Amino acid sequence: MYDLVIRNGLVVDGSGLPAYTADVAVSGDSIARIGKVAERGAREIDAEGKVVAPGFIDPHTHFDAQMLWDGYAKPALSHGVTTIVQGNCSLSLAPLKPDHRMRLVGMFNQIEEMPLKAFREGVVWDWETFSEYIARIRKGLAINVAPLVGHSVIRLWVMNDAATERTATDDEIEEMKAVLRECLDAGAVGLSTSYVDMDEKLQPVPSRYADAREVDALASVLGEYGRMLQIVPEFYDPDLTIARLDQLAELSLKYGIPTTFSPLFVNADNIDAVDRVMDRVDEQFARGARIWPQVQTRPIDISFCFAVPSLLFIRLRSWYQIMRFGSHDEIVGALKDKETRAKLEAEAGELAPLWPTLILRQVKTDANQKYVGKTLGEIAEMRGTSPVAAMIDLSLEEDLQAHFLSSSMGHDNDEKVGGLLKHPRVHIGASDGGAHILSFSTYGDTGYLFGHFVRDLQAMRIEEAVKKITSDTASIWGIPDRGLIQAGMVADITVFDPKAIDRGAEKFVQDVPGDGSRYVRDSLGVDTVIVGGGVAWSADKGYQDQRGDVLPGARAEAPELMAAE
Amino acid sequence: MAVAGSLSTVRKSVLPEPGDDWASIASRELSGSSTEEAVANLQSWNLHVFMRAPAAADSPQAGNPILPSDVIFVEPPAAPAA
Repeated sequence: MYDLVIRNGLVVDGSGLPAYTADVAVSGDSIARIGKVAERGAREIDAEGKVVAPGFIDPHTHFDAQMLWDGYAKPALSHGVTTIVQGNCSLSLAPLKPDHRMRLVGMFNQIEEMPLKAFREGVVWDWETFSEYIARIRKGLAINVAPLVGHSVIRLWVMNDAATERTATDDEIEEMKAVLRECLDAGAVGLSTSYVDMDEKLQPVPSRYADAREVDALASVLGEYGRMLQIVPEFYDPDLTIARLDQLAELSLKYGIPTTFSPLFVNADNIDAVDRVMDRVDEQFARGARIWPQVQTRPIDISFCFAVPSLLFIRLRSWYQIMRFGSHDEIVGALKDKETRAKLEAEAGELAPLWPTLILRQVKTDANQKYVGKTLGEIAEMRGTSPVAAMIDLSLEEDLQAHFLSSSMGHDNDEKVGGLLKHPRVHIGASDGGAHILSFSTYGDTGYLFGHFVRDLQAMRIEEAVKKITSDTASIWGIPDRGLIQAGMVADITVFDPKAIDRGAEKFVQDVPGDGSRYVRDSLGVDTVIVGGGVAWSADKGYQDQRGDVLPGARAEAPELMAAE
Repeated sequence: MAVAGSLSTVRKSVLPEPGDDWASIASRELSGSSTEEAVANLQSWNLHVFMRAPAAADSPQAGNPILPSDVIFVEPPAAPAA
């Protein structure tokens, strides 16, 4: 008897080859047989009319903190994601000295918009080294985690305060190399660094004080292991992005490592910029370099309320200073103060076309419910005021809990984005799962891929889309034994209805430690998610088995790193 | 590792050397111009650095916005294709 048999599903095996109908039998943590399976399973799943695919792999997340209180990475797992890469953008939670904890929390708060209270109330700080952190998250792990180690964190560990003051000495670089080796030996899938991010004092993060010599030295260590280098380039400027990807290409060629950069957006203001970047990517791949651009599936939208700082306001210095550094009472005081308010309204003129388009999505009071779903332009007309004044007034009336949505921030050109997602040298990713929890939902990008680009627009075949987020991703990251429905592979499997899969509506929920809230989306059309042979989530019974692992794991000593086109 | 394929020309840039500021990069990369003119050009071609919020007065970076990791363009952006 098998442990599990999935019957009569349409197997989309992750290779990109045409789908076929078959049973899939699982023994222990592995796929045992594919075809007509006569034997019964201890557990059986009827997949008639449904797709049986390898579990999805999300290569760009920030679940580092959430994994300490939630080994399911909710709700990512319910969307069919069975493996997450965390520790992106130069930030991981290890290695970490006790003196640096609050500094790193400040960076996570500033860059990834993760609430300070969640760290204070959801985290027991009982690790310092990377291996201690890995041991900590292994308890109760239901999803697979492929953790990057952050360059900024290694710099802090070795250089302390000098990490944000100067370049490293030769001795410090040697020490950083040794620390990186320890992390890779402990299970890190690679190193992440950033060229754009700012810390809690709005100063550059430690990785930005590294010169090319230091990055080269760390890349040489990655070369010893064949592991990934992830960077955040200055993505807002194509010339800068190209300069960075040229740097990555040289490191990839010199040390034989895979590299990836994220994000790459389709910018409505400069629609051809992405073509220039992709032309350069093609040229560098032709030289033999591996520089994978990560492209997200979903359009950009941002929600906000005045109770927490929002990246939407980062270009408006006075607004951002008040929201970033003010207490609740100070923010209310500033908005009520005539002089300050006049200054803010004047500064808001820089983004004048934006304000009338914002949608009021949520309020607390009955009196303002009539405005929910309307734009600030409409509300301003109803109130006889300006959109910015209406936004401020509603925020004060709602004690800063009026939530607004900016729904068209870019990356919404379906033809252009669809073409990118299909591109053989584009890596589908950049979801940012677990981050920006008070600005937008980072869950459901895979549902959006299948619902919008495969089913509605028919921009990709379903086999292509599955391959992109399973076997391609496993190959790019050197994760062995996953990403294919094939006998002998680890049984990470997602069963979904191709006619129904999608992302649910964005909603605001309170499930973060410290009474915190976040935006999430439920999965639609996902039936069962299997990790390591166990049912980790099903639509009828919710979250279940905890058989997640830390990847790439011991079997990755000689990874095959070339993704097939 | 064998490297095949050629690269098209992109906007020329450099990475800072130890202790670099606008003037030292200008004298090294734009030696045909006066220092004042070269610095002004560099700053206008590198607004991502020039417009950066200043470092705190007690920071070693005070007065020099150039970070060791910065890409510094040493020519203007190409004109958009017609």
